[in-house]
Amino acid sequence: MKDPKRLFGTLAAILLAGVFLVSPCFGAEPIVIGVPTSTGFLEGKECLRSVEMAVEEINAKGGVMVDGEKRQFTVASLDIRDAAPGVPVPEALLGLEKIILDKKPAALVVGPFRSEALMAGMDIISKYKVPMIGTIAMSPASEAKIKENPEKYKYIFRTCLNAKYLVKYLVGTMSFINKEFGFKRVYILNQDVAWARATAKILTDVYFSKAGWEIVEHEAFPTGTGDFSSALMKARAKKAQVILPIFDMPQSGTLVKQWNTMKVPSLLAGFISPLAGPGAWKTFDQKIAGAVNCNFEMGSAISSAKMPLSVAFEKAYDARWGKPLEAGHGPAPSYEAVYILAEAIERAGSIEPDAIVAELKKTERNGIIGHIKFDEGHQAIFDMDPATSAVAAVFQWNADGSRTIVFPPALAEGKIQLPEGLKSAK
Amino acid sequence: MLAGTAIYAIINSVILALMAIGFNLTFGISGVANFAYGAFYVLSAYATWMMINLLGFSYPVSVLLSILITALLGAAMYRFVLMRVRGQALSEVIATFGIGLAVLELFRYFGFVGFEYNLPVFADYSFFIGGAFVDMQRLLIVAIGVVLVLGLWVFTHHTSLGLAFRGIAQDERTALTFGINPDKIAMLAVAMGAGLAAVAATVIIPLGTISPEEGYDVLIKALAVCIIGGLGSTGGVILASFVIGFAERFTDSYIGSHWTMIVSLAAILIVLAVKPSGFFGKQKELEERI
Repeated sequence: MKDPKRLFGTLAAILLAGVFLVSPCFGAEPIVIGVPTSTGFLEGKECLRSVEMAVEEINAKGGVMVDGEKRQFTVASLDIRDAAPGVPVPEALLGLEKIILDKKPAALVVGPFRSEALMAGMDIISKYKVPMIGTIAMSPASEAKIKENPEKYKYIFRTCLNAKYLVKYLVGTMSFINKEFGFKRVYILNQDVAWARATAKILTDVYFSKAGWEIVEHEAFPTGTGDFSSALMKARAKKAQVILPIFDMPQSGTLVKQWNTMKVPSLLAGFISPLAGPGAWKTFDQKIAGAVNCNFEMGSAISSAKMPLSVAFEKAYDARWGKPLEAGHGPAPSYEAVYILAEAIERAGSIEPDAIVAELKKTERNGIIGHIKFDEGHQAIFDMDPATSAVAAVFQWNADGSRTIVFPPALAEGKIQLPEGLKSAK
Repeated sequence: MLAGTAIYAIINSVILALMAIGFNLTFGISGVANFAYGAFYVLSAYATWMMINLLGFSYPVSVLLSILITALLGAAMYRFVLMRVRGQALSEVIATFGIGLAVLELFRYFGFVGFEYNLPVFADYSFFIGGAFVDMQRLLIVAIGVVLVLGLWVFTHHTSLGLAFRGIAQDERTALTFGINPDKIAMLAVAMGAGLAAVAATVIIPLGTISPEEGYDVLIKALAVCIIGGLGSTGGVILASFVIGFAERFTDSYIGSHWTMIVSLAAILIVLAVKPSGFFGKQKELEERI
């Protein structure tokens, strides 16, 4: 090419073409979803995987439409370790701030385990104006904070069950047991941590004391307790008809095994986190038949044929990660949080925080946990009918290792079976 | 109720003794406070789980291999880390605690969290004893605890290696003049302590599940028992296990489970106030420690 003008023209054309070809890539920069949570714990690990799964599904369909342009999601996670014993709240907050500053996420999902960390973290989230859809911490105190100062804390939402709704489900279960079998003698055992103590106290105040139940004993066990023999001997001696456990520590599975081996003639019904998933049958040596457990959200390690999306989610998770869901709290609302966010971004046509928040408030979605709609405290509303609200599921372990949903009535697949040696009082 | 509580108190005491005996043996002989003890406990449990579930080994083979591997890792820790800082108590504590922390947090980092990690029970029966049902695994724990303590006594009193252990425990310099290599014996003591942690894990873990937190819990319990009993004293460990074990179960039954930790800590404080070296602690004296 001897003509310098021609050479210059060719180079300029190539450069221009390059700019035009490359520019869409700049425009299609992925939208970062931050996942600051305790990824070293089962719930955190499975929540993160559920988020990744939802992101993969959305990306496979081209991503989300933002201002006339398809953009992909990308996940940035950070282990903030707030669930680990002894980790102070400020350390978790450092993690929260780090992920916001380093990864510049358009939104956060999952979030802290401990309500103390969430409450303190709300100020950081507001400071940086990053929308967050929490799926683990359960204290309704965060909703009260939002209601007190809605402008400041408008960025915080929650799709998982909160403590108030957990109480509602446990009250519903106890009321159902009372109606079915006439039982009125309960032994309450709870982990000695804030949420479990509060749940037990509210249950006592709002239900047991008013509905004519006799609380034969109420005991709090320190986290890490691995022997419940004394409590179970007392339950037998005091002729408790129902043992109501409220625990989320790994050792609490021992309570169920001991209840089985010590042949205590009481119905065990409440919440024990290790009993949530299908793997509990093998983990606890097939000694959990008869135990009734509340999983916090439909789709979190439990599904119902009456809610096909929950079945599809469980199957998809199993296929994607090679093992079934085991956490009864967090994964399903985490998966939903990504779709809720994607829909809000598409409706807003922007990733501006205030625009996303305005659209998040308008959420009306039929998902795997039921119908999702936020109340004025930005909490997803849970009730008993999946057509109108999000739902939890109470199920009973059967002698063959399967599980039967027994509550709420709209989803019940069977009746509660009483353990050997316990007869209906009716 | 009283008889049932007493039975479960005995079981609880033996569990505590099993948790502490390896830590105590290592300290009694080598003077090393092995703060990686809890990590060895958890590591052996995960190793057994992996051999059963991932490699398809039979349960007995997995148990034996994991005890052997844990003991070898204990020996390696002494040979490559502790030997260099031997005699510097603070450095030993920092080094072992650091190793333990790294092991436990690595398990967490690599995703060994969840409720599916547990070991099978040896036998699956329940017996009605003293007004309460007791499962076979707990009875086996008591039997294994008794056999282990007796076995250790025979080993330290009637075998040449055991006598060498006691020689080092009594006076390292004098033992050296008899041709006993203190580093070799100390290495074997750390290895044996780690192996005993593995034995404890094998019999105790089937009652619950494996998790990194267990490592911290076991270390704290072993330390509490050893300090009350008197660091290095096997008799002290057994007595302290029974004091704490009975205090815990009887508090559970007759006062309330939320008082269990307070009563146990009060028992520890009272013992230490009355006898600062623990029941049979002789760490400041040139006397037999095991």
